[in-house]
Amino acid sequence: MNEILRLENLSKRFDSVVAVDSVNLSIYNGEFLAILGPSGSGKTTILRMIAGFEKPDSGRIIFDGEDIAEVPVNKRPFNTVFQDYALFPNLTVFHNVAYGLSIRRVDRREIRERVHEALEMVALPGYGERYTDQLSGGQRQRVALARALILRPRILLLDEPLGALDLALRKQMQITLKQIQEKVGITFIHVTHDQEEGLSISDRVAIVHQGVLQQVDTPRRLYFQPSNRFTAGFMGENNMIGGRITSIDSEQVCLDSPLGPIRSRQCLSCRGLGVGDEAVIIVRPENILAGSAAATAANSFKAVVRRRVFTGSEEKMLVATEAAPQLELMIKLHFIQHDDQAVGLEDSAGVQIGFSPENCWIVGAERGQGNG
Amino acid sequence: MARKTPAGGARRAEMLSLLAPTSAWLVVFTVIPILMFVVYSFWTVRNQMIFRELSVSNYVRFFTNPMYPALLLRSLIIAFGVTVTTLVFSYPLALKISRSRGRLKSVLYMLIFIPLMTSYIVRIYTMRLVLGSNGVLNNFLLFLGVIQEPLQILLFNRFAIFLTLCVILSPFMVMPIYTSLERIPRSYIEAAQDLGSTELQIFWRVIFPNARPGLIAGCMFIFVLSLGDFMTPILVGGKQGTTLSKVIQVNFGFAYDWPLGAALSVVLLSISMVVILVSNLFGALREV
Repeated sequence: MNEILRLENLSKRFDSVVAVDSVNLSIYNGEFLAILGPSGSGKTTILRMIAGFEKPDSGRIIFDGEDIAEVPVNKRPFNTVFQDYALFPNLTVFHNVAYGLSIRRVDRREIRERVHEALEMVALPGYGERYTDQLSGGQRQRVALARALILRPRILLLDEPLGALDLALRKQMQITLKQIQEKVGITFIHVTHDQEEGLSISDRVAIVHQGVLQQVDTPRRLYFQPSNRFTAGFMGENNMIGGRITSIDSEQVCLDSPLGPIRSRQCLSCRGLGVGDEAVIIVRPENILAGSAAATAANSFKAVVRRRVFTGSEEKMLVATEAAPQLELMIKLHFIQHDDQAVGLEDSAGVQIGFSPENCWIVGAERGQGNG
Repeated sequence: MARKTPAGGARRAEMLSLLAPTSAWLVVFTVIPILMFVVYSFWTVRNQMIFRELSVSNYVRFFTNPMYPALLLRSLIIAFGVTVTTLVFSYPLALKISRSRGRLKSVLYMLIFIPLMTSYIVRIYTMRLVLGSNGVLNNFLLFLGVIQEPLQILLFNRFAIFLTLCVILSPFMVMPIYTSLERIPRSYIEAAQDLGSTELQIFWRVIFPNARPGLIAGCMFIFVLSLGDFMTPILVGGKQGTTLSKVIQVNFGFAYDWPLGAALSVVLLSISMVVILVSNLFGALREV
């Protein structure tokens, strides 16, 4: 895939707050990229700099081989779907969607055809005569999408477009967005704070935290191979066990933790770590075994059940080991995978827990370490 | 486009109880006096005495004596001129205030707002200080050598009425427009930019239509206030500057023809009511 946009050392500060801190990011033609981060992480500022609403303090925005950091908003071949949709209330749906074409003095007949086409695409045919206050949130969202896409932008920027919708509608719109993106083949850059949204609709996800780009990768790789502690903590629930590295060989890393010695596989994120360094072992709740199956695992501990939380499709269990009673670990029990012995356990019952070195990874204790 | 909200019985009762004091005030001090005016307008005066016999003679006088329609027309022309002029000068100012940030914004806003806190009579008198033969403007022009002796045409004529009304009423134009502009979300403007608009296109296609209620409210205020104003013609109008509202005042004063004054007031009031109702149809009162 060829690169369509490249951010080079992009930085932006507001007064004394660093919003974006030398971000480097390549975006490829036709991909669906999510910029994911907690609120205040700088993700929207990155998007607004690409759109042109903010000028970067330093760094370059390379589009088609040229730096466009100084190009005004209305001259960039990008369009934005705003968080609050920003539909014009004085115009009908038709004229909202037609706006970009009509200011370019496109022929009336062509406008009519293209608006019709755009409204078909977002499944709102026949809504042209309505005013935007007669639409539901989801419908407004789709009008905003049609209004931005009708100009056939090279890149479509989406600023938390689903943030104002309720959960069910959001799920549905995620699928719609993905389908539309595949159909039109335009590069989408989608800013969100919802990890599930970021993971489920995009080809690649860029994780941003405190203005720093943490990791950019496919959703699967991010989830299973986070390169640092922040990414690991942000991508779903995790158990993090701190400790000191005691040995490293070509296949495994050993860590001395409050639970006792733990062995982990070698992974990308351990690069730069040496014996004696503070590090964190990360294990996903679904990768911890409980009951008799755990006894044979390479990392196996005696534990006590603290609490159980039933959520429907799964059951979560909080346990603490005998060696480190203050460190609670979360285990997800999938009824099929685990034996009945673990499922039926009462609070404060003893249980054997364990996990394989293949299912855990080590990152440096400091933020940003091991970032590729 | 007023929206009706269906309110339950209990809620309605609560609303009525909240509205009652204000409504009572309005009825006693506004509605009843106006109704009394209407009644007065059908009475007559002979030998400095008011006779309570119903007659339409006052209205007949208004329509048969060409002086009154001419005065009304003059009042309407002045009101219209003041409205258009204040609109032209206030809109850019309102835009400027709404686009300013921080200290400049509050300073500009206060410059518009503070005059409203000073007495209306004082503000008219300040215009005399500016326009008078020994006034600021004449002295300045003398100082520059543009003129050799003070201009007398600045004061005590219709132009002075027009100019004074423009100056003292302009806050009523700036305020509602400014309020309307402030209500336009930043994202509308960004969306318009994003879709490729130039600054001019953003103004005419997004800002202006979405701030229209404030513009209509401002025009309504200025028009109605100019039409009814009688102090300005008295203080700066001179002989040439007689307007219908000044004649009304005279009829209630030494002319002592309250019924005729009342009839003229009813005519003027009806015009103002029509202006208010029409502007309300365009959403003016939602803004203020």
